[in-house]
Amino acid sequence: MTHYDWGSGAIVKPEEPKKKKNVQIIPAQTDLKRKAVNFIKGFDINLSPEQLEELEQVVQRSSETFVRDIGKDLMECRKLVINALRDKPKRPEAIIAANDLAYSVKALGGTFQYPLMTQIAKSMEIFVADRTTANEKQLLVIQLHIDSLYVILAGRVTGFGSTVEQATVAALTKLTERYAEPRE
Amino acid sequence: MNAKIDFSKISFLIVDGDKISAQVVYDTLAYLGASHIQRVKSPNDAFDVLRTEKIDIVICEWRLRGMDGLEFLDVMRNSTNSPNRFIPVIMLTAHSEMRYVTTARDLGITEFLAKPFNAKALYSRLVSVIARPRRFINTGTYFGPDRRRRQVQFDGPDRRSLDE
Repeated sequence: MTHYDWGSGAIVKPEEPKKKKNVQIIPAQTDLKRKAVNFIKGFDINLSPEQLEELEQVVQRSSETFVRDIGKDLMECRKLVINALRDKPKRPEAIIAANDLAYSVKALGGTFQYPLMTQIAKSMEIFVADRTTANEKQLLVIQLHIDSLYVILAGRVTGFGSTVEQATVAALTKLTERYAEPRE
Repeated sequence: MNAKIDFSKISFLIVDGDKISAQVVYDTLAYLGASHIQRVKSPNDAFDVLRTEKIDIVICEWRLRGMDGLEFLDVMRNSTNSPNRFIPVIMLTAHSEMRYVTTARDLGITEFLAKPFNAKALYSRLVSVIARPRRFINTGTYFGPDRRRRQVQFDGPDRRSLDE
């Protein structure tokens, strides 16, 4: 009830009762756990290092497919970029292809022991992001990325490479910064 | 005695337009003993499978043609047409920056796995989904697994259940 506080001389209004928050907590769905977790059959929840190594080898089975398919994609994308250099209307198509390629290589390079490819693809992805077209210099920057990726793949350069490879990555990143604008 | 997971009892749906990425996940699941694994390239195909078959876990790429993985997740969690609002979804993506992780989390992702990934990381997400299911939270703005992963002792009032 609203009342007059004789001590402070103020009119005191009662606090509005807080509305109950409408939050529903639903217990965890345990069907999967009940049907799959046991003590007899299957893989340990905590895999041993040997088991993990075997599992990693399963992942690496697709490594050759990656090298073959990405190699093909790199060549196709390079052709599109070169054509786009001569033919302006073909530039949007080349940009889309470069964007897709950059994402694929960034996503899978590291999985197949090519983290250097992931690094370069990331640089290329940032460069082509939010573009619908590119000028000649920008297309050349994309082409340089593609060529670098191809060289790494052809040379089977696993890991992060030597100082030369790292210097290449740094140079490509600088190029992307230098020719980032205009972004249209 | 160690607890085990019998993957043959679980059905999986892989939604990924990238052939190699989908193959890697497929091979890993097959090696673990999963026999019911479906692969599709688009969310629309995924909905068709989810409406006709019993799928336990969805492994979905973020970047997809047409509807992307995030929109797919949004429909799964929040649409009245969703085939299963509670289905665990593992988001597999090269969009690994923090803003992407928090966006996916706030739309109700169960697990997030950044590409490039390795076998250990994929396995740990599978274990988490199967052996450590989380409760669901339903508010006006969120429906999905409880985003509070760490259960920390809290001395204050429980505002979720007691606020008046």
